[in-house]
Amino acid sequence: MTEIDATPLPQPDRDSEPFWRALQAGNLRLQKCTACDTLRWPPRAICNRCADFDARWEQLSGRGVLVSWIRTHQVFAPAYRDKVPYVVVQVALAEQRDILMIGGWQSHRDPAPGEPVEARFVAATGEVGLLDWAPSE
Amino acid sequence: MPSLRDSTAIVGIGYTEFSKNSGVSTLTLGLRAIMAALDDAGLALSDVDGLATFRVGDSVLPTILAQSLGLRDLHYYLDQFGGGSVSHAIVGQAALAVHAGIADTVVCYRALNARSEFRMGGTGRPLVDAVETQYQAPYGYFTPPQQYAMAAMAHMERFGTTQEQLGAVAVNQRANAVLNDRALMRVPMSLADYLASRWVVEPFKLFDCCLETDGAVALVITSAERARDLKQTPVLIRGASWGSGQTLYSNEQPDPTRTAAADMAPRLFEMAGVGCSDFDLLELYDCFTYSVLVQLEDYGFCKKGESGPFAETGALALSGSLPVNTHGGFLSEGYVHGLNHITEAVSQLRHDAGERQVPGAQLALTTAQPGYVSGSTSALVLRRDA
Repeated sequence: MTEIDATPLPQPDRDSEPFWRALQAGNLRLQKCTACDTLRWPPRAICNRCADFDARWEQLSGRGVLVSWIRTHQVFAPAYRDKVPYVVVQVALAEQRDILMIGGWQSHRDPAPGEPVEARFVAATGEVGLLDWAPSE
Repeated sequence: MPSLRDSTAIVGIGYTEFSKNSGVSTLTLGLRAIMAALDDAGLALSDVDGLATFRVGDSVLPTILAQSLGLRDLHYYLDQFGGGSVSHAIVGQAALAVHAGIADTVVCYRALNARSEFRMGGTGRPLVDAVETQYQAPYGYFTPPQQYAMAAMAHMERFGTTQEQLGAVAVNQRANAVLNDRALMRVPMSLADYLASRWVVEPFKLFDCCLETDGAVALVITSAERARDLKQTPVLIRGASWGSGQTLYSNEQPDPTRTAAADMAPRLFEMAGVGCSDFDLLELYDCFTYSVLVQLEDYGFCKKGESGPFAETGALALSGSLPVNTHGGFLSEGYVHGLNHITEAVSQLRHDAGERQVPGAQLALTTAQPGYVSGSTSALVLRRDA
């Protein structure tokens, strides 16, 4: 059976490809409903508030609030043998607090729930980027 | 059509041995559990006209079991994709099939080699085939303990829930498992033992996390009317419900300290015509200690944020006011993905639970994974036939 023997890279699909490309270029972009201005996360074809299909890709501030965090000690897959322990955070976006994103943490100190955070962009490959978070400066 | 309430019953339960390495296929495990459940029910293979299971790509197709058992003309089958969140949904589905007259006798089972072949936590398992995986796995976040730890940390931060309160759940369940000869973890455990265990994913220690188990469990469902002519005291399916769950897509549910069970519980209890104070015991899905705490809140047994102190009072013990996970649960009996919670409730309501029997038990709640991660949840209310 296939094991996770390399750090997984984003696998863009037909909905998410613009999101990952924008991250690679250092921008956080999400779809915004043209009918009701609700942001969509993750990317998809319809607004879950008003069921409108139309949306435009909008650049966001990259700011958010830290909701929760964990520190992984167990090596769940061979790819992480040299990476543990590592912190992963859950962040609510400043523009729409009900959107929760998972990301890496770029700071030497532990995250504090409720603290303001800002995006750090990591170019994973020539085509996709990752979104980490750090304490707001 | 008349209500589903009390129209069907669980009339037999069956287990294989629980172990870390069964040495046999999931097909063999499923066959053994099904035959044991039929034996317990006093029924023959020729009585079975339905089979139901759930899988996450880790077990054999139910139709293969049917053919292996010589069942040539199934009237009903269910092969539900999903993990623990659908564990109770398949029993609800089977009850619907019997209630509607589609089948007379349905066997629900779950067979897995969750330690020796396919570990939910990653080893031996490819990335989960969920559309949100792409937004999580690149950050090294792809296993159930990580997903639950994230919610638990939020609960601890917001409500002051402590490590010791998580530990109270683990210690209680170990005490129950000591009385259960099926249980894999029967060495008594103190809170100090719990606190001394290693981190898996902060804030979870080793003993916050469920076991990974090879084994199978099966249970037999037929009409309540027919059940009364069979060998065992019928355990009636008083209520069954299906609910939503949280995913990255569910920004309607942005509070990680509240699960979709909170939305589902009122309609389950209304269907069953019961309230929280009516239950004699609860078998709550315990993939992690925290899932027990959050369900105590979301099913209404205590207020939001108060489950930690509630657990510390000892209320959850066999001798307490609200016994929880009387078999030891996934934390200490074994991980059979939710069906072993249902079969334990059946044993308790039949008054067959031996040393761990809750005296005079009449009514039990048994629950599936409360909806973190998967986008779904489910639960059952079970009642001893009067």
